[in-house]
Amino acid sequence: MLRFLSKRVVQIVILLFIYVTIVFWLMEALPGSFLDKYLMNPKITPEIRENLKRQFGFDKPVLTRYLYYMKNFLVLDLGVSFSYFPKKVTSIIFERLPRTVFLFVTSTLVSYAFGYTLGKRSAWRRGKVIDQVTTFTGIVFWTIFLPLLAIFNIWLFGVILGILPLNQFIDPNLWRNVSFSAQDLFLKLLLNAFIFLIVFLTIMIISRRLKTINAKRILLYVSLIGTIIISISIWILSGRAIYAWDIIKHMVLPVFTLTLYSFAGSMLVMRDTMLDVIREDYITTAKAKGLPDKVVRDKHAARNALLPLMTNFVISLGFTISGGIITETMFSWPGLGRAYLEALSQQDTPLLIGLLVFTGVFVLIAHLVADILYAFLDPRIRY
Amino acid sequence: MLLSVRDLRMHYKTKMGYVKAVDGINFDLDSGESLGIVGESGCGKTSISMTILRLLPDNAEFKSGSVFFDMGNGPVDLVKLDESQMREYRWRGISMIFQAAMNSLNPVYRVGDQIIEAIQNHFPQVPVDKAREKVAELFELVGLDPSRMDQYPHQYSGGMKQRAVIAMALACDPRVIIADEPTTALDVIVQDRILKEIRKIQKKLNMAMIYISHDIAVIAEVSDKIAVMYAGKFAELADSVTIFKKPMHPYTYGLMHAFPSTVGEKTDLVTIPGEPPNLLNPPKGCRFAPRCPKADELCMNEEPRYIEVEKGHFVACHHPVKSGEVVQFYEQ
Repeated sequence: MLRFLSKRVVQIVILLFIYVTIVFWLMEALPGSFLDKYLMNPKITPEIRENLKRQFGFDKPVLTRYLYYMKNFLVLDLGVSFSYFPKKVTSIIFERLPRTVFLFVTSTLVSYAFGYTLGKRSAWRRGKVIDQVTTFTGIVFWTIFLPLLAIFNIWLFGVILGILPLNQFIDPNLWRNVSFSAQDLFLKLLLNAFIFLIVFLTIMIISRRLKTINAKRILLYVSLIGTIIISISIWILSGRAIYAWDIIKHMVLPVFTLTLYSFAGSMLVMRDTMLDVIREDYITTAKAKGLPDKVVRDKHAARNALLPLMTNFVISLGFTISGGIITETMFSWPGLGRAYLEALSQQDTPLLIGLLVFTGVFVLIAHLVADILYAFLDPRIRY
Repeated sequence: MLLSVRDLRMHYKTKMGYVKAVDGINFDLDSGESLGIVGESGCGKTSISMTILRLLPDNAEFKSGSVFFDMGNGPVDLVKLDESQMREYRWRGISMIFQAAMNSLNPVYRVGDQIIEAIQNHFPQVPVDKAREKVAELFELVGLDPSRMDQYPHQYSGGMKQRAVIAMALACDPRVIIADEPTTALDVIVQDRILKEIRKIQKKLNMAMIYISHDIAVIAEVSDKIAVMYAGKFAELADSVTIFKKPMHPYTYGLMHAFPSTVGEKTDLVTIPGEPPNLLNPPKGCRFAPRCPKADELCMNEEPRYIEVEKGHFVACHHPVKSGEVVQFYEQ
């Protein structure tokens, strides 16, 4: 396992350098540059032009700039943004990261949970009404044009029904006289979710040692509900619950839209592998053992069909870092997806390269995590 | 009587029509007894066991019949039970050693845990450590090292998986075990050892057993009674000595003479010409009639009844083979 891991890490480092190089040269190959709008301006004197060029580093040849970039990349410095001058790219990314991560991790989780549940159910009842309805609905939403779906949802829930906010991630009126920043709250929400995950994993490990099935179930429910109640009461006691609630309320519509749009992907993967697994002999054995239908479906069939879905899930988690350009634009969510679009339209090359590189790192890490998870999920896989 | 099957009929619905896989099966089974069902591939052997346990695929249609099973509180018709009641009888009443035992173990769970799951499903009050003791006993019984119960199926060899599957079938002390070609995938030496062990365990625990195989040599080794199945029906059922010495159905006769014997005088090997009928559209009269040298007008038009000609000897034939008679099969 350790040998495999170290081999993979070396691979990832090599891949990352190739990736950064390609990204850098691709951006360099784009026509025009950020400075053009100043350099073409007849009101600017030649001296200022030269100064600007030097300031942004455009006086040096491309190769030198590439080597500079690589040198800085080694110490995790992604340079200075042009459009947000003199803000550093890393600080822009870290400012927007929590919002994007919180929104997209939530929607990926919801969408996969949805896809998993529906996929296994429709495979179990293949050809029945539930199968046909879920598959049809899933494919309809899967093929729909995402901006259209977003606009429709905003119109329906925000305008006609008026139950959800239209856009943005906070309600400005509510936050006018608040001493803490929304950023701070986002980080706390993330921390809360992280604690929840840790509790869940610990419970899973502890429950393996328990003797009877009932004891396992009780421990699971009690601890999970307990954690939820404790964290909600901490939020209420700290007096920030309404603000957290405000953020969550703003998230509902984007999460709902993304889930509708993408659950079919995971559902069809799950349904497909599940249909293969159902034909296996051990499923008949499980039924013959007199196990209830639900146990056969969840414990024996779905567990074996989980592997491909898990890979997709972990890799999409890697991609959540990049946010969603369309979703964030439609819902005016100031995350990394919006940063992409801004950087692209402004020709802010350092920011754009920085964002791409940052996403790349996380996707590579996600692949590694998927490999490790494989060994946990399937005892036949050992590295 | 522990298990009595009466006029069992189950057909598979296909686009071409109904496949009459199980078409009027009758037999009785007592504790400690073992019944072997032998027949060609596709004659409905496995379908019988699946019908008894009600583990049928979606396209199967149960037509008629009853399966009376006695767990010690009077016979219950399994056919009439609802799904949750039926679950009580599965594994605890009737358990099964599946065809292709290689794939009968779930690859992602430890072998021991899969057996414990069966025990705890039927006896929820049994704690894990008690169940583990039971699994260890079962492993000893089938000749496996109990320390291997925490390994995964892929760490087992074929023969070991087979033994583990047998141990699993014994987990809830069932009254009846249905063994469906449990040794087909193994080489003859392992096969022989496992057959002997199954037989020994069955006698020791006084269980009833239904043994299904296409291999008459295997069946002869483990069964007290043998049923010869042809095209969804029993052609003949008798104790294992009678069926070898005095076969009455021409099909049984053909089968018995289709094997070379190392003892006794030299005889010609018999091959039965033709192919088994398509179960979508079986012959109107006796299903064996198109291949039978003794068949006449009656056989072609009227189905022979399945009757008890001697005590414990059932046969479905209009013109049973008399003792000493030689039946000649010709290529058509």
